[in-house]
Amino acid sequence: MASLFQRRRTKATQTERVRERRHEGFLRYAGFRWAKISGGLCLLIIVSYALVDVTPRHSGGSWYGYTLGAIGAGLILWLTALGYRKRKMTNDAWSLKAWTSAHVYLGLSLIVIGTWHTGFQLGWNVHTLAWVLMMLVILSGLYGVIVYATLPAALSNNRDEMTQMQMLEAIRAFDRQLHSAAQPLTPADTAPVLAALGEDPFAGGVTARLSGRYPDCATAAALRTLSASHGSDVEAREKVVGLLKQKQAALARLRQHLRIRGLLEIWLYVHVPLTFALIAALSAHIISVFFYW
Amino acid sequence: MSFILRRISTTKTGKQIIRDTPLPGDTITLGREGSNVIHVADLAVNPHHATISSTDGRHVRVAASEGLGFDFNGRSVDAAEVDGAAGAELRFGGHRLTIAREGDNIILLVERIDELSQSSKDVDEAKAFSLQGVMLGKRMGAWAFGLLMLLAFLIGPIWAWYSYKNVNERPDGYHADSAWLSGPLSSAHASLKKDCQSCHVEPFVAVTDKACVGCHTGEHKTMSMAHANAPTAMLLAARHPPGVGERILDGFAKTFNKPQGRCVDCHTEHEGAGPMPATPQKFCADCHDGMSARLKTAGHPTTLADAADFGTSHPEFRPLVRPAPGAKPVRAAPGKGTVDYNGLKFPHDMHLQATGGVARMAASFRGRYDFGKQLECQNCHRVEADGVRVKPVEMERDCAMCHSLAFETVGGVTRTLRHGEPDQVVADLTAYYRSTPPVRPLQLGGMQRRRPGAYAEGQVYNIYFREVAVRPSRAQDAVRAVFSKGGACYDCHTIFAPQAGNSWRVMAVNQTPRFLEKGWFDHDAHRESDCADCHTAAPASKASTDLLVPGLRQCRDCHVGEGGARLVKVETATESPCAMCHEYHSDGGKPWMPPRQRKKNVAAITNKPLRASYGVSMITGTGGRGLYDVTWRTPVLHGARRGG
Repeated sequence: MASLFQRRRTKATQTERVRERRHEGFLRYAGFRWAKISGGLCLLIIVSYALVDVTPRHSGGSWYGYTLGAIGAGLILWLTALGYRKRKMTNDAWSLKAWTSAHVYLGLSLIVIGTWHTGFQLGWNVHTLAWVLMMLVILSGLYGVIVYATLPAALSNNRDEMTQMQMLEAIRAFDRQLHSAAQPLTPADTAPVLAALGEDPFAGGVTARLSGRYPDCATAAALRTLSASHGSDVEAREKVVGLLKQKQAALARLRQHLRIRGLLEIWLYVHVPLTFALIAALSAHIISVFFYW
Repeated sequence: MSFILRRISTTKTGKQIIRDTPLPGDTITLGREGSNVIHVADLAVNPHHATISSTDGRHVRVAASEGLGFDFNGRSVDAAEVDGAAGAELRFGGHRLTIAREGDNIILLVERIDELSQSSKDVDEAKAFSLQGVMLGKRMGAWAFGLLMLLAFLIGPIWAWYSYKNVNERPDGYHADSAWLSGPLSSAHASLKKDCQSCHVEPFVAVTDKACVGCHTGEHKTMSMAHANAPTAMLLAARHPPGVGERILDGFAKTFNKPQGRCVDCHTEHEGAGPMPATPQKFCADCHDGMSARLKTAGHPTTLADAADFGTSHPEFRPLVRPAPGAKPVRAAPGKGTVDYNGLKFPHDMHLQATGGVARMAASFRGRYDFGKQLECQNCHRVEADGVRVKPVEMERDCAMCHSLAFETVGGVTRTLRHGEPDQVVADLTAYYRSTPPVRPLQLGGMQRRRPGAYAEGQVYNIYFREVAVRPSRAQDAVRAVFSKGGACYDCHTIFAPQAGNSWRVMAVNQTPRFLEKGWFDHDAHRESDCADCHTAAPASKASTDLLVPGLRQCRDCHVGEGGARLVKVETATESPCAMCHEYHSDGGKPWMPPRQRKKNVAAITNKPLRASYGVSMITGTGGRGLYDVTWRTPVLHGARRGG
């Protein structure tokens, strides 16, 4: 008996090892268990929608519509609870990975649940507003899933085994060298170098962050000015130009890092606030239905 | 007096080490270049930035030398006079120069206060490398959006409801609760779009019938005439036993305070602009499907047959008929061989034949009446304006063009027998024979003397005057001829011969305007079909007692159930819910149908009275070629014209 359990545990451990080795992420968790459950749910809804005879026609106000609406509203609240769950450390069966996997796939099934709940009757009202917000939340989440699956590799490649603080430290080192190397330069030549030193590597708004384009980059400007300058001692100037080039490369790496991180994060700035907007609109939607019953 | 340059360095343990270096001369130069007395390695400082001098050892003069100034007590200046005792702080680029006096010496303290570069500044790694630094916080956005939604779409609408709570009609303009409109109102209620409270009176209370009858006064106040007098127990027993799903739904309806049987159960709103959708079949079939058995079990036996779907489950029609001459109309029992006695003799087959006497006669009237090459149904039968009932066939309008009752022409005016009044016919004929002599023979005309022996003329003379003498008694024969076989009346009517105290009598004619009393068959909606498409028995019918009302079979050639259910093959199916033919409220009108689904009656029924028809011509004179100008047919009383 004891050996039986022993073996089973060994086998479970083995499975776990295989999983670890293959790095089973939240998308392929447990052999796409939640993808299958969610797909089955969608299929069930689409088929039953076609089979169920609702008079005079399908809408959110039929018994079928109310059923889908109740499922959808409950699902929305549960999906929101991921924000709470991820802040709680647990070690039980409901791992965060399992939870996230279910969040992603059940969240996608909400497209079908929510849309079929409407009976495809949309208009300019709070009911459709809740649907639109729900779709925006889901689509932003879908974007999040896609970038989580694709961008980390790019992030890793760009990092070149540096930590982000090391990237910053490299820029700082070039700044220090620039500062001492630029000492012999004429005031006209030091001004752009000074501007380059005064440039905040984290400057730029969200547009610059996500596009990775910094047209007003002071380091690039200094490089241009000094390359064309004839004012100072040639040797000193060439040294500064060389350092500026190196700083620009380091800056570019940091900015690429910031860009990829920005792309990895930006959807949350849509996903999270709109989720709460959705819950508010959903409350208004449900209360309005019963208020004007 | 001398200048002393002071340097302060800090050890790792935080201890400060102060080193003083006396500076030579009275004038101290300060700049980035190494030749300066005070060398400041700061790119923001000029190679020769400033000179510091003192003449009296108390006051220190600082002057910028290359145009780039310095900060003195926060202001940017080119030169400054500093009282050594008071001291001052000057700023050159990222460095601070503090001037102070200690004894006779003037202490110059130079420290770097700014970071070497912007990147050298301390950063919060978690914040700087993420979007937190450049975006509005997620939490902030969540609160802002959430509150905005609640304000605009929950508080606002409730406020709109609250502020017009006791107001009869809302003023025009924007009301926040219009954001709650779940779908466009039907065209009938479109004007109520801004006034949700006209129907949704109380919050959390489902729309009541009271809200409907508030405006719809007088319109089917009772649920239905047919159902109004039924005992409640019977109505409850009629309903089909609820299934599991329905029991669950009923439970929900009860829990959420949504009572059943309200007007809005059938008359659904917010289902899109345009007319309100017709009531679905389910609302009838819920009870009428398999109802008779249920009612029998419950002790309320009924004669009503079960009906669930027109295409598959509908009882055979039971038209209103008179089963015997003169009998009261009753609904026919289902089955074949149903007869209807209307009192007329009319073989449809003869009149509808494509060839033969009737067709030839009709053809001869072409251009004058609506006739074609042969008689058509609509030449005699006309539908009432409601499209449902059929006008009775009228002798004067529909028959008399062929079946003439003319018997005399006086000065171009044709006199006819009075239709529908047999006593008048007898009187007219009697008067005719009394007042008119026989036609006087030509031989008896002229004034010349006749020679004796002309026997032939004498014979005529004798015949004529005998005829004149007996002429009034000829009327009896003429009257008998009219009412007997071969006479004008007998052709179409059943005649009762005179009996004690009675003159000639004609059997009453009863033409049923509407045979199907429960359903509302609309002839107008079927204008495009030929009559014979449905009235299939008419062209072969030999007797007027044949019931020519179509049966269920003919309807089902096109009409299927609401959901398309059918028993026979149908080419172009028309989905027919109960409400297409049946009127629930039984308030005397046709069942209501959305105008879009209604067939438009494009061609009005031509039903003008024929000109110069019987009676009218006596007053107005004949207006051209009228009905009785027909000359080719021998008048009925040919014997009279020939002189008896």
